[in-house]
Amino acid sequence: MRNLTSKSGSLTPAFFRKEQTAAFLLLFPSILILGVFNIYPAFYSIVLSFFEWNGFSPDIPFVGIENYKTLFTNGVFYNSLLVTIIYSVVVTFGSLIIGLLVAVALDRDIKGKTLYRILYFLPVVTPTVASGVVWKYLFDPTQGIINTMLSYINIQGPAWLNDSAWALFSVSIVGIWKRIGFCMIIYLAALQGVSANLYEAARIDGATEFNILKSIKIPLLSPATLFLTITGFIDSFRIFDLVYVMTNGGPVDETDVLGLMLYRNGFEYFKLGYASSIAVGIFGILLILSFVQWKFTQGGEAY
Amino acid sequence: MKKGVVLLLFISLITVLSFAGVNIEFWHYWDGANGDKLEELVETFNEAHPDITIEPIFIPGSSIVTKIQTASLSGRTPALAISDIIKISLIAETGQLVDLKPFIAKDDYNIDDFYEELLVYGQRDNQLVSLPVSSSNLGLFWNKRLFKEAGLDPEKPPKTWEELVEYSEQIKEKTGKIGYELYTQGGEGTTWQWQVFLWGAGGEFLDPVTNYQKAAFNSEAGRKALQFWYDLIHEYEVSSISPWGLFGRGEAAMVMDGSWMVQFFPMQVDFELGAAVFPHPEDGVPATNMGGEQIFVFNKSEEEKQAAWEFIKWFTGKDIQIEWDKATGFIPVKKSVANDDGYVAYIKNTKRLLLPFVESGKYANARPPINEYPEISDIFSKEILKALHDRMSVEEALESAEALVNDILK
Repeated sequence: MRNLTSKSGSLTPAFFRKEQTAAFLLLFPSILILGVFNIYPAFYSIVLSFFEWNGFSPDIPFVGIENYKTLFTNGVFYNSLLVTIIYSVVVTFGSLIIGLLVAVALDRDIKGKTLYRILYFLPVVTPTVASGVVWKYLFDPTQGIINTMLSYINIQGPAWLNDSAWALFSVSIVGIWKRIGFCMIIYLAALQGVSANLYEAARIDGATEFNILKSIKIPLLSPATLFLTITGFIDSFRIFDLVYVMTNGGPVDETDVLGLMLYRNGFEYFKLGYASSIAVGIFGILLILSFVQWKFTQGGEAY
Repeated sequence: MKKGVVLLLFISLITVLSFAGVNIEFWHYWDGANGDKLEELVETFNEAHPDITIEPIFIPGSSIVTKIQTASLSGRTPALAISDIIKISLIAETGQLVDLKPFIAKDDYNIDDFYEELLVYGQRDNQLVSLPVSSSNLGLFWNKRLFKEAGLDPEKPPKTWEELVEYSEQIKEKTGKIGYELYTQGGEGTTWQWQVFLWGAGGEFLDPVTNYQKAAFNSEAGRKALQFWYDLIHEYEVSSISPWGLFGRGEAAMVMDGSWMVQFFPMQVDFELGAAVFPHPEDGVPATNMGGEQIFVFNKSEEEKQAAWEFIKWFTGKDIQIEWDKATGFIPVKKSVANDDGYVAYIKNTKRLLLPFVESGKYANARPPINEYPEISDIFSKEILKALHDRMSVEEALESAEALVNDILK
């Protein structure tokens, strides 16, 4: 404030003060709502992670870092961490590659390209729970469409969600399916920025479409790729609803992602302190990822 | 002296007056036909008790525990509520549930008429904080059409595990269908079905002598039960690891399911159904697991507590319970109801499928009434599934589960 009442002596100070008051008044409702429903609970869960509480008992003993000790010495946590990382890698890169191919394919003048773009984008806006339920039917080992189709060509399909070897992959397919549209939109936007002169020059030099993709498009799209990689990781790291609906972590613990582990401890076992420590763990990992994003994109400037 | 009498009259008048308008909330999650019947019963009660008004409030089953939790923190609990038996010990942690023992003693209320296994859930130190109001249990359902196709007598269900395997193999051979459907999706669904096999083989889940503070399933009976599940899948190949629901689609000939399915299966399936007490090993005992609801009172004013107790006393009375069980398809919580000639005749004539479940009432075992149960059940199911998925042997799975469960309980 003191800086604003500057030596210039103009009308600015009063004006600024007024503008700030107005800004504060306008922001106040959102700050209040964010504060009560987002920021306070977030900080409260950090506090809670140092206590042991079942949500019912009136005594809430302080246990120090006991919850974190349990967390980091627990096989279940490392299994969930691994499952989440595998899921994130498969979904992030799977959707990125397919999204790129779709974007390149739809970046030309073909009939009905708007329709295709809409179709590819639809899964992004379809509610996750609904998608999960539908895919669960598609994956049904005996009555699902997928295995029925496979049986026509004499392939005995796996039990998908009920097969230890296939379950995580099956869930990832749905994750990829839901994200292709988003990757496509980002790539399409980025492709608009590539000058047509470059393609023309390349074609004159006798480059094939594949050469153009490999040597012009992919390198020029690298900022978009970086952006999609990082947001992909952040999004898929928080996966919960899809897995909850499709497998609930099973078979055994093959798809037991961190979000599910958190939910189970908090709302099924009522171990609120421990669940909070898992939340803080996920927060820490996401914080590092966001930091990496910030660093690589020079504070978001590069993209 | 005169003054004293007037004062006494005055005080009793006040008490009567204040008693006159007791209005209490009753939180429940019974919907459909059950909810309608409850509303009807409550209305009858309110009419018969002009001084008490019970107000039933429906809260979805999935959120009633959370709702009770927040209510207990903000001091807005209802006077009366129900919950799933397995959640009572957790709710009792609030320290806000009223001990019913003084009421029981004062009114000479016959507590021994309840099945004892149901009363463990309300035990807390030396108190009794809840009473059973509804019950359900598990039994065997079979598909008579598949039995016929396989050349089996469709009116004769297996009585032992040995017969279960024998019949299943014949069904597999003759019809190509799954003989017996296992619940392999994990969680409490797997654990509570497995417990029926464990109890049937003569085992215990947690050690009752230590007040359920120690795992007891890693026993001969436990190994026998888990080995039986493993063999059903891998040795006899009459069960499979697959999503739940094969029986309902006619893809499996037998299944273990709950008494509530007596209502739902007939609407779902296009074949004739049979229901029976669940098979047990030849040298074992009949057993079943049970679910259900219990009612409890939150700490409120004396009048409200008394009114809540009046309702419980009325609602758990034999005649009302008979009416309730007839309308809802719940299994009796009282022996006098299960043995009542009128009730039994009614079930025989109109709900024959329910009969074996009523009979199973006396074979029912209680799941451990402890706070940690949901976590234990979850972890336990994961370990036994590892055996079924061939990730470890039966012995290793039970040992590993024992270590994990004891670690939670310590």
